[in-house]
Amino acid sequence: MKRPGDQVHHGDALAEVETDKADMVMESFDDGVLEEIRLKEGESAPVGAVIAVLRPLNGESAATAPRAEAPAEAPADAATAPTLSSARPERVTTLEPSRRRRRSEAASASRGRQEVDANPAADQQGAEDDGAETAPARPVVHPAMSAHPSAAPTAIVAPPAPSQAPAMEVAVVTDGSKLRASPLARRAAEEAGIDLAAIRGTGPEGRITKRDVDNFIREQQLFRFRRLVAPREGLPGTREELSKMRKTIANRMAQSKREIPHFYVTVEVDMEEVVRLKKSLETTELFDQNITYNDIIIKATALALARYTRMNASYQDEGIVIYPNINIGMAVAVEDGLIVPVIHNCERLTLPQIAEAARRLVGKAARGGFSGDDLSGATFTISNMGMLGVEHFAAVIVPPQAAILAVSAVKDRPVVRDGQVVVGKTMMITVACDHRIIDGVVGARFVNEIKRFLENPASLLV
Amino acid sequence: MPNQRYDLIVIGSGPGGYVAAIRASQLKMRVAVIERDRPGGVCLNWGCIPSKALLNSAEAMDTIRTAAQEHGIATGEVRVDFKRVIARSREAADKLSKGVRFLLRKNKVDYFEAHATLAGPHAVALAASPGKPNPPAATLEAERILIAAGSGERLFPGMTIGNGVMTSREALVHDTLPASIVIIGAGAIGLEFGYFYSAFGTAVTIVELEKQMLPGFDAEIAEELRKAFLKRGATVMLGHGYKSMTRKGGGWRVALDAAGTAASVEAECVLVAVGRAPLSTDLGLERVGVEVERGYIKIDDSFRTTCPSIYAIGDVARMPLLAHKASAEGVAAVEIMAGAREPGFDLLAIPGCIYCEPEVATVGLSEAQARERGIDVTVGKFPFRANGKAVAVNQTEGFVKLVASKQYGEVLGCQIIGHHATDLISEVVLGRTLETTTAEIGRSIHPHPTLSEAIMEAALSAEGEAINF
Repeated sequence: MKRPGDQVHHGDALAEVETDKADMVMESFDDGVLEEIRLKEGESAPVGAVIAVLRPLNGESAATAPRAEAPAEAPADAATAPTLSSARPERVTTLEPSRRRRRSEAASASRGRQEVDANPAADQQGAEDDGAETAPARPVVHPAMSAHPSAAPTAIVAPPAPSQAPAMEVAVVTDGSKLRASPLARRAAEEAGIDLAAIRGTGPEGRITKRDVDNFIREQQLFRFRRLVAPREGLPGTREELSKMRKTIANRMAQSKREIPHFYVTVEVDMEEVVRLKKSLETTELFDQNITYNDIIIKATALALARYTRMNASYQDEGIVIYPNINIGMAVAVEDGLIVPVIHNCERLTLPQIAEAARRLVGKAARGGFSGDDLSGATFTISNMGMLGVEHFAAVIVPPQAAILAVSAVKDRPVVRDGQVVVGKTMMITVACDHRIIDGVVGARFVNEIKRFLENPASLLV
Repeated sequence: MPNQRYDLIVIGSGPGGYVAAIRASQLKMRVAVIERDRPGGVCLNWGCIPSKALLNSAEAMDTIRTAAQEHGIATGEVRVDFKRVIARSREAADKLSKGVRFLLRKNKVDYFEAHATLAGPHAVALAASPGKPNPPAATLEAERILIAAGSGERLFPGMTIGNGVMTSREALVHDTLPASIVIIGAGAIGLEFGYFYSAFGTAVTIVELEKQMLPGFDAEIAEELRKAFLKRGATVMLGHGYKSMTRKGGGWRVALDAAGTAASVEAECVLVAVGRAPLSTDLGLERVGVEVERGYIKIDDSFRTTCPSIYAIGDVARMPLLAHKASAEGVAAVEIMAGAREPGFDLLAIPGCIYCEPEVATVGLSEAQARERGIDVTVGKFPFRANGKAVAVNQTEGFVKLVASKQYGEVLGCQIIGHHATDLISEVVLGRTLETTTAEIGRSIHPHPTLSEAIMEAALSAEGEAINF
């Protein structure tokens, strides 16, 4: 936007900076004359590199400043570089050079047509080497450097890698009390364990409001989900760090198998009538939304749970807790793990309402925006691998629940009808039970109850 | 000045319209306002302002009547010149109406006295208003049109005004004091007139279809208010619906229905206060494709109607029907037009006030509404009888109820019933705007002795730390 020799005033647009997160215009923080541009248009540079030199008005040239050493330290492949520094400019200028260099290593590169200088020492050094008495060229630093992932939705696509957490480092040096935030926003952020410095305020003069905190949390969830959509395969011969989710799953599942004596009961369900019901609902268009097999299975399970309350319970040291509501969690696979969105109060919901609730959760999974309740409070879980074509499987109970239902694929199998072997559509369902509170007969009756509901699906519409 | 092109034409000069016009002018728009009645609209001329003047007279009457017993200040026989009471109220209205005219002129807003109808997406046709001279132009054109036509009194079908049957508009100029009056509707308007007439010694009967006064308000507040009315000698008939009205003697016999059981009341006058309806019918909306839903003009987040160049605010657009909501919407609408503000408007931050005695003031959600939304709430409550100032001035009726979220102490709403409640609510409104929690309100030092301490105590009570109760 400016050529060498151009006069630059405070607030003038100097360059367009493209980061992983957003494109923005870099404004000058000082008056001066643009002396040199060290980066060609379209080139990338790491954070901390000098991209241009600004000479003070009436000042002498400082063009002899050495080129920043940072590029050599930065990862060569900018495309794989996951993040940019979250350093705040005012802090950059006050940090010790050694400290800064360390962070610029950690922060790695961001792509940019023109990169921003975060290393004033380099210029100053140059000026001193020159022996110039005049004021050294001032560094050009821009708030883009402080842009946090929350600043733009695109941040979700390029999240900071967990191993490199420059934002954390910044958080340490940030004086939170100077941030403008409403008391409510402060309290909400505190309870959610979020550093306010990470949040961009949209209130008057950048004041952080409760809505900003909510949006930040939603984006984080969205980001977490997007990151996890496709199954991830490990590279042979590598060791992969445990993600937070992986650790949680590992702990919970190991605890489950260690503490809960599982036993399993399987029945084969004739799905002929359910298939017919689903088709008839679709052709008559009686309901706005489609009703899926999963919705039908949830409804049948809820009805069975209402009759066998021990299945909707929890073993505790103080006694057996029978839950007042039926909240069914649906295990959903994501990359390197799973999440369990919950449909609350299934006992009160009709089939279309369950379908609606499930649709809403799926929508949230796609767009983000799970609220706390959406992922917690399950009293029973269903794991459905029907879409993966499995013959039969058993699932591990999610503590502190007492049971989990594993649903396999609907398959063409030989069935006996009126003494004849014919081709029918059947599905295996397996319930895993906590033997500390559920005995075989209860588990068996429970799965058979589900089977009865599914084989007489008109009962699901009552 | 015929056929000028304006940036904005505002239809209606009520608290929505005139405020929007002035703000638009500040934002460098060329603005015209069209008013068919008097500058200032219902608020200044037939609503908020004159009624407050009447209530002030009622309060004076109350004070004088109780002076001997209360303060030992003996007065002679108290005589009322009711014509003077009404005239005083009109003077207040006139003064402010002239003030609006002045403000519009000062802000270089053109003012037209005429009945306006939409002639196109950018054109408004002017016709002479009854009893007013012909307007100087047949049509005016503008880039945008803002409808702020307001609302009118609602009537039962078949009911005719006159012979002692009044809406608030007639009551404001009715300068003979009735011996008895039936007020149909226990909303804000009905209760204010109920208090006014009972203070001057009229036998007042208040009839309400719903099971509580102030339907939709916090039930505890409504019950406290009912008791206050009973104490002042009014008759309150809840759960009674209006059926019909017949002339009887010099007055009226009103037939009522209480869940199938017939009842009736007789009185010299009848005041119909069953709410107000948006004035959306004679604006020519259908001609330009402005859609209406249940009488209200449909608007989006930017106050835009279904015709893109036409906007609507205030009573004609949506509930609640409140002057200050219309003003705030008017400002928001023109700022959005000018690109100076993001679309959107927080309807929960609008306070609502009723100026009978004790006064009622609310903002945000009531406890029941918050619970309906599935919010885990905590309620801080503080009675004025535990407030030093209230005891000192012997105004101990009522209480403050502060509804906060249990999770953060977020101030979700506040309901106050008591002396000067309408002046006290602003602290909570500001608190909501700034996203204050109960902790900050409770920790803010409130001057002693004041009624405002009750709000601090209610906040502390929500935190489980009330000191004086």
